[in-house]
Amino acid sequence: MKMCFLPHFFLLSMLCLNFGTQVVRSETLHSVISQNEAKRLFADANEKYQQAAKLIAEKNIQESSQKLKEAARQYETILAGGFRHGQIYYNLANTYYRLNELGKAVLNYRKAQRFMPRNTDIEANLKLVKNMTEDKELSNEPSVVIKRLFFWLFLLNQNELIILTIAHYGILMTLGFFLVILKYSWLKKFVLGFAVCLFIVLVSLGVKIYKEQYTNNGIIITEKCQIRYGPGEEYEPKFEIHGGTECIIEDERDNWYKVYVNVGVKREPDQKMNISENVNKEIRSGWLKKENVDVMNNKFL
Amino acid sequence: MKNHIRCLCFFVVILIIFGNIGGLLAQDIRLTATVNHNTLTINDQLELTLTIHGTQDTAPPSFPAIDGFTLLYGPKISAQTNIINGNVSVKKGFTYVLQPAAKGKFTIGPSSVEYKGKVYTSAPLTVEVVDASASPGPQTPDFNKLIFVEMTTDKNEAYLYEQIILSFRLYFQRGLPIADIDYSAPAAKNFMEEKLGDQRQYEEIRDGVIYNVLELRTALFPMVSGKLVISPATLKCNLIFEQRRGQRDSRFDSFFGDAFIDDFFGRKQSRYPLSRATEPISLEVKPLPEQDKPKDFNGAVGTFNMEVTTKADHVKVGDPITLTISVYGEGNIQTVSEPLLVADNEDDFKLYPAESTTQITNREEVIRGRKVFGKVIEPQKKDLKSTPVVVFSFFDPRTGQYRTIEKGSVPIIVETGEQEIPIQLTVSGNVSPSGKQQVQLLTQDILPIMTSVSSLENQGNQIYKNPILAGCLAIPGVVVIVSLFIIRHKEKLQTDIGYARNKRAHAFVRKRLAAAQTALSQHIPEDFYSSLSKAMSDYFADKLNISSANSTGDTVATLLRQKGVAVEIVKEVSDCMVDFDYRRFSKKEGSLEEMEQSLRYVEQLIARLEKLLL
Repeated sequence: MKMCFLPHFFLLSMLCLNFGTQVVRSETLHSVISQNEAKRLFADANEKYQQAAKLIAEKNIQESSQKLKEAARQYETILAGGFRHGQIYYNLANTYYRLNELGKAVLNYRKAQRFMPRNTDIEANLKLVKNMTEDKELSNEPSVVIKRLFFWLFLLNQNELIILTIAHYGILMTLGFFLVILKYSWLKKFVLGFAVCLFIVLVSLGVKIYKEQYTNNGIIITEKCQIRYGPGEEYEPKFEIHGGTECIIEDERDNWYKVYVNVGVKREPDQKMNISENVNKEIRSGWLKKENVDVMNNKFL
Repeated sequence: MKNHIRCLCFFVVILIIFGNIGGLLAQDIRLTATVNHNTLTINDQLELTLTIHGTQDTAPPSFPAIDGFTLLYGPKISAQTNIINGNVSVKKGFTYVLQPAAKGKFTIGPSSVEYKGKVYTSAPLTVEVVDASASPGPQTPDFNKLIFVEMTTDKNEAYLYEQIILSFRLYFQRGLPIADIDYSAPAAKNFMEEKLGDQRQYEEIRDGVIYNVLELRTALFPMVSGKLVISPATLKCNLIFEQRRGQRDSRFDSFFGDAFIDDFFGRKQSRYPLSRATEPISLEVKPLPEQDKPKDFNGAVGTFNMEVTTKADHVKVGDPITLTISVYGEGNIQTVSEPLLVADNEDDFKLYPAESTTQITNREEVIRGRKVFGKVIEPQKKDLKSTPVVVFSFFDPRTGQYRTIEKGSVPIIVETGEQEIPIQLTVSGNVSPSGKQQVQLLTQDILPIMTSVSSLENQGNQIYKNPILAGCLAIPGVVVIVSLFIIRHKEKLQTDIGYARNKRAHAFVRKRLAAAQTALSQHIPEDFYSSLSKAMSDYFADKLNISSANSTGDTVATLLRQKGVAVEIVKEVSDCMVDFDYRRFSKKEGSLEEMEQSLRYVEQLIARLEKLLL
């Protein structure tokens, strides 16, 4: 095995990394809040949340609501300052849950999951909140087999995958260097192994970035809203969905999003028989006002 | 101090020796008469030895009455003390050398000796004197008398499973050198065998001649009744004798007489193979009598005894008691079965199978052993006073009768046991899972917030956004690629001559042009044109990978055209090379300006060609 593939592989790696860098660079806000300030605000918001929890226990609803709103505002301030962390999203989601804003709670749990994919508390709370939403959603989670097979994709966040990629790249280049200089034949197997690993990790990183940047997932944040047949009030309402329901944004026009909602739709018994799969999907699509939905993509985070 | 220790040691040794010798007083005193041959020719001499065993403190025994022999000389007195494993044996020998006076069978009468008021007498001997002329030349010894084997049993009749001692003995005359003994045991089909002790070595007198005896003993246990045959045992060995060098037929001489007086260095060793076989032995094995056979008899034959012990004598109901039943004695202990336990009531004790260990305690004379049974019993009732009676029956072949040993019950105290808690091994099928109550979930709430401020870092800052890092990422790749090209370049320089010449051509031509420049500055036209001509020819030789001698204007022009160089340039190169060669060897010298112009022209031409001939 000649080492001629090394330059090509290097160029490919660089292209992929550069692509990822360009994509995210153009979409990432610069942090305008210092880490110390963020920590101070975070601790303060946490304190307010704890106070609210005590007030709730004391049945002092009004004051607790006030505290929770203050806490949510502080969490939002940190995030608006470009400082992001899974804990902030998680705490903010908890705060919205206490304020009975299930849509925003789900939204922030989902965002928290992207930063802390292995955290079981987030998963537990999200499950609880989802159970409280009104619409019965059809599961679009990957199967257990897929989760087990591509475990690193589900257990690592974007930054961790990048670190893994760089680590593989560094090792591969080091081994390649020694192979070129020393020409130890046994190194070829390691080089090949790490090249394969790097390829897998690179593809995984690409999938992760695509899923988080280019798939427009959204969450209904208002208590309830109407899905219409077209982008305007003049169109008839198709069905009504409630806060916390997740959707995929397929298109946008003016102040309207075309969304696909993976929820169960009630139909007449005689309609049920002759509906093809495409029609079945079309039933769940519709238009709704942008104010009713918040999108998940990082560019909006 | 040392002297004291020495005295003490000496005293102890004396005590041991004399203590043992004192023990000799109790030994049997006996007198034996032996000869070196009981068949001899009239020319041979007979050695008669009278040996008093058990004491050395006697007068010489009386010389026996001997017909047909004359006393040559004697007695030659020898005393011998043997201490083997602390056992002391003493003897004193009186040897007489006799000369036969006539042929025939002669009896050497008994000899006697008096010791402490008792008279001890030896057995008479018979000696045959044959005619020496009957066998001319050296007398051939009778090997059957020199070495022979015997196999015997201690009884000809035995009961089934009874112990029979089978003895195999090898007799060989004292002083006979034998080696490489190979013994094949008899095939004792229908018998169970147990080896008895190590081989025995002793002396035995047969027909007045002393033999060394090697004895192997085996205990046999017949497994079937009827007439059984023990097949012959065989033995192979080699006789070692010395032979005079160069004398082939004198080997039998070496056994007697001459062998011991000949020059040691004038002989060599030879081996004479011998094979001996015993007679088969027939045995009558009787079946065990049916009369009076106990019900619990399980085939134990021999002479046995039994002991029963137990450690626990104060137990609760259900507690285990281990009875240690030890059966020991003479016989095939391995086939002894577990003794029977007889309780007053079958429900009194719960019995578990016994575990046994067998040990052969003595295998010198006969097989003796001990078999220990560990029997676990559990009292099932309160107020039981003793363990069950242990009964063991066996057949005693010595008396020909069955015997039953009953060991009395061991007294025990049994108390009421604790309430037994039943162990739940399985779940009964009729237990309904619906019968169980599920835990009631009181409320559902979210998990608390996270408050780890220390770990709060901006996760939104993607590490790959750092341009320095992105730049650093390129470094290893660039290093690898550059090193790859460098290594390849070096390898090609070493392996591809054309490539190497091509690469160095420009450097070389610059050197030549520098030399030309020097010649120009010194105004030496011959050197200048010579340098220019050589620079051009060497440059094209390297670039086109041809020899310098072939690098002429025409050749270079042809090769350049083949490489697709423009015709004008080819013409310029060809003209230049021809012109420089001409000027180099002709008297036509250009002016300084012309020379400088030529140098610049060549430099430009090479610069252009360098781009074309990469």
